[in-house]
Amino acid sequence: MRTDSKSWRDPVLVATVAPLAIVMLLFFVIPLVMTAVLSFQTTQFYRLSWTWDLKIWTEVFSKPHYWTIMARTVAMALVCVVICVLIAFPAAYALATRLRAYNAQIQILIIFAFLTDAVLKTFGWILVLDKSGVANWLLAHLGLGPEALNLLFTPTGTMIGMVYGLVVYPLFTIYLSLARIDRDLVLAAYDSGASRLRAFFEVTLPLSRPGLYCGAVLVFVLSLGAFLEPKVLGGGTAPLASELIRQSFETRVNWPLGAALTLVLIVIGALSLALSAAVLLRGSRRAAR
Amino acid sequence: MRALHGVSLDIGAGEFVALVGPSGCGKTTLLKILAGFEDQTSGTLEIQGQDMQGVPAAKRPTRMVFQKLALFPHKTVSDNIGFPLKLQKVARAEMDQRISAMLDLMHLKREYLTRYPAQLSGGEQQRVALARALISRPSVLLLDEPMSALDAKLKKSLQAELKKLHRELGTSFVLVTHDLEEAMMLADRICVMRAGEVVQLGTPSDIYYRPANMFVAGFIGETNFLPVSVTRDKDEAKVASPLAGQEAAIIAKDQVSPFLGDTQTALLVRPETIRFVTGAAEPGEWVLSGTVEEYFIKGSSTQYRVRVPGLDKPVVMDLAGSLDLPAKVSDSVRIGFHPARSFLLSE
Repeated sequence: MRTDSKSWRDPVLVATVAPLAIVMLLFFVIPLVMTAVLSFQTTQFYRLSWTWDLKIWTEVFSKPHYWTIMARTVAMALVCVVICVLIAFPAAYALATRLRAYNAQIQILIIFAFLTDAVLKTFGWILVLDKSGVANWLLAHLGLGPEALNLLFTPTGTMIGMVYGLVVYPLFTIYLSLARIDRDLVLAAYDSGASRLRAFFEVTLPLSRPGLYCGAVLVFVLSLGAFLEPKVLGGGTAPLASELIRQSFETRVNWPLGAALTLVLIVIGALSLALSAAVLLRGSRRAAR
Repeated sequence: MRALHGVSLDIGAGEFVALVGPSGCGKTTLLKILAGFEDQTSGTLEIQGQDMQGVPAAKRPTRMVFQKLALFPHKTVSDNIGFPLKLQKVARAEMDQRISAMLDLMHLKREYLTRYPAQLSGGEQQRVALARALISRPSVLLLDEPMSALDAKLKKSLQAELKKLHRELGTSFVLVTHDLEEAMMLADRICVMRAGEVVQLGTPSDIYYRPANMFVAGFIGETNFLPVSVTRDKDEAKVASPLAGQEAAIIAKDQVSPFLGDTQTALLVRPETIRFVTGAAEPGEWVLSGTVEEYFIKGSSTQYRVRVPGLDKPVVMDLAGSLDLPAKVSDSVRIGFHPARSFLLSE
């Protein structure tokens, strides 16, 4: 695309871009810079003191406790991505191919689920996962659970809540990708002699990759920041990064530490994204050759 | 809803058959049944003497060129063309050799192999689609209006190539098109369809000169229908028109449609068989009087539209192109043709 080097002089262009630029600057760039600035200060007697030193950063890098939590957060996010995609892909595939007639109804149901408040949904799961809850009642009546399963206040409980909250994102993105695939391409694969399975792996799956990738990225980023599920369903037994950051700010009133940990989480997220993008790009380039 | 009924069609080995008809006539449905994308609810389909009932598309000796080509956008030209061979687990060396043979046959440049379909022009994509369909040497090639999206000039050159290809390969071609002119140019036999039925099956000259009815006759280019009254006399027919007031004419047996009905009978008068009459009429010639409504200079020919009182539509006539125009707009003219050389048909 050609860009005009003097496009900033175009008043209409400036007027249309300016509001977004201002919002981004006010609510994204400036807070980020403030966070970075904050991480180089210290606290004394629960009060912030402007010192400009690396004390906080030395603490962050010398305490393995923080890194255990970071590693757990990334691991949970990765597991969440895998589970979400495994659930979302078949569902999206069914929506895009078999259930076309009920498409509108199903989409409305998904949107309802999507718009229901996250707090409400998370607390709702307590009723299901509790020792005397619906899940155990069902298992017991199906004769599958000899003793009550303890799901509430475990990492499994956290994961169930995270997957439940995030699965709609890949469901939507994968559905959009699949719905855009021309049916003739699949027919062309059959016509060339491909079995249904082969046609799926040669045509449908590669062409749905943008939606797959987009959904996975959304789930990953959002689960890095999950705070409600680990607290409500995980019961704080295995805290994740967001809980650590919240504690630093609120309980310990150590704002510089909270800011530093926030930056660590952001960097981890950005690096994982860059890494997966590089891997994916290389993969598609190899497919091209 | 039934898209097809009473369709019976035999296609010989190595034959080029075109299925023609307006949209919704069932020609694409028929092609999909041949390809195995849809199953017929009743009736049988045999290819090379084998019943195709329940045989999936992948196992049929047919290959299809899709209307929108359906090239795989995420595969290179080489991978697109080689896809059927990859599925057959053909060895890499043989695959490369056959792909490059296909490139030569389709006049595609070697450097296109590593490109993606979106990087090629419409005509090149067309050739890639043909190459993919032909590389596994199918015994039947199905073409679903593959040239409908191309501009006129490119279409002409690809049509010529397709005909040459058919001659060289000896594969049966089945072409679906709504363009009867294209079908006439390419096919050995044409199957004209309407509302799920075969209206006429015949050679291009049969279709042009001896159409079954007005539907088939009107399908190609512009033509004229002159309503006439008919009295049958054994195989011959005696026709008369109150419009011209001339004597009745005898139409020989082979100039009468075998599907001639009792109502809405008309003479098919092709535009190129009409002339301006300046002097006396020739023996047996029918002469109509009218006024010139419009003319079009088409280069090699000049088309006149003459309004004749009593006819709903102007009479269309094609004259050989000339520097001096024989008539101008709103001139009163007399036009003549030989009814005995026209074709008698009905609605």
